[in-house]
Amino acid sequence: MLEALDELFSPGCVTRAADDLAHWGRDWTTAYKAAPSAVVFPKSIHEVVALVRWAGSHGVALVPSGGRTGLSGGAVANHGEVVVSFDRMNAISDFRPADRLVTCQAGVVTANLQGFATEQGLSYPVDFASSGSSQIGGNIATNAGGIKVIRYGLTRDWVAGLTVVSGSGEILECNQGLIKNATGYDLRHLFVGSEGTLGFIVEAQMRLALAPPPQRVMVLGVPRFADILEVLSAMQARLVLSAFEFFADQALAKVMAHRDLQSPLSARVAFYALIEFDDDALEEATAVFEHCVASGWVVDAVLSQSDTQAGQLWQLREAISESIAPFTPYKNDISVCIGDMPGFLDAVEMLVAREYPDFEVCWYGHIGDGNLHLNILKPESMDTQAFYARCHEISPKVFQAVAEKNGSISAEHGVGLLKRDFLGFSRSPAEIGVMRGLKGVLDPHGIMNPGKLL
Amino acid sequence: MKVMVPVKRVVDANVKVRVKPDNTGVDLTNVKMAVNPFCEIAIEEAVRLTEAGLATEVVAVAVGTSACQEQLRTCLALGADRAVLIETDEDVQPLGIAKALKALQDKENADIVIFGKQSIDGDNSQTGQMFAALAGMPQGTFASEVTPEDGKLKVTREIDGGLQTISVSLPAVITTDLRLNEPRYASLPNIMKAKKKPLDTMSAADLGVDVAPTVEVVSVEPPEERQAGVKVETVDELVDKLRNEAKVIT
Ligand SMILES: Cc1cc2nc3c(=O)[nH]c(=O)nc-3n(C[C@H](O)[C@H](O)[C@H](O)COP(=O)(O)OP(=O)(O)OC[C@H]3O[C@@H](n4cnc5c(N)ncnc54)[C@H](O)[C@@H]3O)c2cc1C
Repeated sequence: MLEALDELFSPGCVTRAADDLAHWGRDWTTAYKAAPSAVVFPKSIHEVVALVRWAGSHGVALVPSGGRTGLSGGAVANHGEVVVSFDRMNAISDFRPADRLVTCQAGVVTANLQGFATEQGLSYPVDFASSGSSQIGGNIATNAGGIKVIRYGLTRDWVAGLTVVSGSGEILECNQGLIKNATGYDLRHLFVGSEGTLGFIVEAQMRLALAPPPQRVMVLGVPRFADILEVLSAMQARLVLSAFEFFADQALAKVMAHRDLQSPLSARVAFYALIEFDDDALEEATAVFEHCVASGWVVDAVLSQSDTQAGQLWQLREAISESIAPFTPYKNDISVCIGDMPGFLDAVEMLVAREYPDFEVCWYGHIGDGNLHLNILKPESMDTQAFYARCHEISPKVFQAVAEKNGSISAEHGVGLLKRDFLGFSRSPAEIGVMRGLKGVLDPHGIMNPGKLL
Repeated sequence: MKVMVPVKRVVDANVKVRVKPDNTGVDLTNVKMAVNPFCEIAIEEAVRLTEAGLATEVVAVAVGTSACQEQLRTCLALGADRAVLIETDEDVQPLGIAKALKALQDKENADIVIFGKQSIDGDNSQTGQMFAALAGMPQGTFASEVTPEDGKLKVTREIDGGLQTISVSLPAVITTDLRLNEPRYASLPNIMKAKKKPLDTMSAADLGVDVAPTVEVVSVEPPEERQAGVKVETVDELVDKLRNEAKVIT
């Protein structure tokens, strides 16, 4: 039956080679075995429409695939699905300066959009360590956040228009760049964060921001976890932050070993906060630092003296994911409201110490957004499946603590395969019922990324 | 033992520079400036000599406009004890800088003068050498290791395809290579302390030297734009292009 793909696509745009199946069948997660039946590379919206219609009438499951940097198995194909890669729909086709709007195909790599914006004297402010590989389509499908959310918001905030091919094969053009449009349901936002379960995002109009003023980076040493939040509120009371990230010394140790870097502070401290702010707020920031030292929250800090150093300091945070990857981390990506953080931190810290006494735990995250990445590292001697099974047993306890604060079990990585069975900790049965109903309308044949999210 | 470290204010290495439309130079308006990376290594080496109890004073020096004070303050935060700015609005070049530093050295009598091996703006790699000649001091250039030994300096030099170890008597000039050390970050407590450290300003004329440029820049051209790559569909096509277009295989 899959021979039909050769008729739908031009030569060289369909592959069934074992290497390709293994490559495009998985994302950044390592727990699942890639087993797609084919990979296709559409070059136009019409090819996507034809594919969806064919798949709908033959009941063939499709997995939308972007840069495959996802951390929840959303782009994994492990049940003979056809992977639909946007690698060849990667053109930036239009720029409208008056609206600061860029039209890009789904496969445009995030860093290329950032670079394009910079060339126009503007910026695309959504940024994270994977932006050199992730695609705009994937970012939208996961509503990616990253390191500048505290100032610039999530991917959702920059999506001004979407062209989508729904699971029923219809082309939907949702809000074409308008700032104001009060004409009923904003379908655009339904597709943001939909993880490929409703349709294919084929093109997006992304809004650009003004270029940021010159920035400074400060890394502060904070001996006690809870004091990170004191530092955050002290900083936020007096200056506009572009980033407020934190990481534990275990995470720093992994980065220093992996990238051969020196310790930022002259002595090691249990936790670090990395903050970024406008250069002209330096005096305020220094005053807050002094206040933090006087209050006993902070013991030392370093300040970037150039953009080059700012980049080097950022590496300490941005290289964490990559540096812990060889340890097969089990990733938790949880969030609560900032106000609920202190009690939540205590609860999770105790729980982790009790439940994971034999595992190395690595904390870091976008704590300025109430978002923690709790990574459990696999002991070298332990079998991967056994390790994941153990983590899966403990996860409900962590998620219960999240649920008690009305928090989210997936702040920005998405639900995918990894968190699907835990969705109930963050969404009520009524909500999940509505989600299923919406999926039924937009994906009547159930061909869009089945088994993910719901 | 006194160590003098000349530092240069240059465009931040992270900045993508643009050539001015009239090709007279690089556009510096609103461009971020920083301490030349090789000079950062020089400061670090001097501070380490102090920390090891081998040096007693580190003096950072810049030749340039008053804006250089910003970079000198950074050096003070990194551990220099005091700083001197030889102020001039001239477009300073290696020979002028070397002359001004020589005049200062006549007063300071530093035992070791540590330069960066080159500055990332002009890429001249001349100032340390010219200074050594003017001051009549031995030089250990492109150093990747410096060890004081019996009143001399043992210097490992990075040379084409290998390393050379030399010994120089004091007073001596060192120029730093990339691998000499990894500079530390400036800590906030030290940045605050640096505000109170002495930073003296004098003019080139005070020192009786003429730092006017002797080399005139005729034209500056940006590098040719790289052509965008193409994606090939098959191995055969790749081989064909390598053979017939790029002509890198036969
Ligand atoms: C080192 C590292 C750091 C990271 N840091 C962050 C971070 O700070 N913040 C953050 O939010 N995420 C982060 N991530 C996760 C990941 O980069 C994001 O989720 C990103 O948005 C995924 O984009 P992608 O193109 O790689 O999507 P993929 O992994 O290919 O796919 C993700 C999901 O989107 C769907 N999808 C992809 N393309 C389309 C399309 N065109 N139409 C419909 N559905 C589609 C897929 O089916 C899948 O469900 C990080 C990942 C890594 C490896």
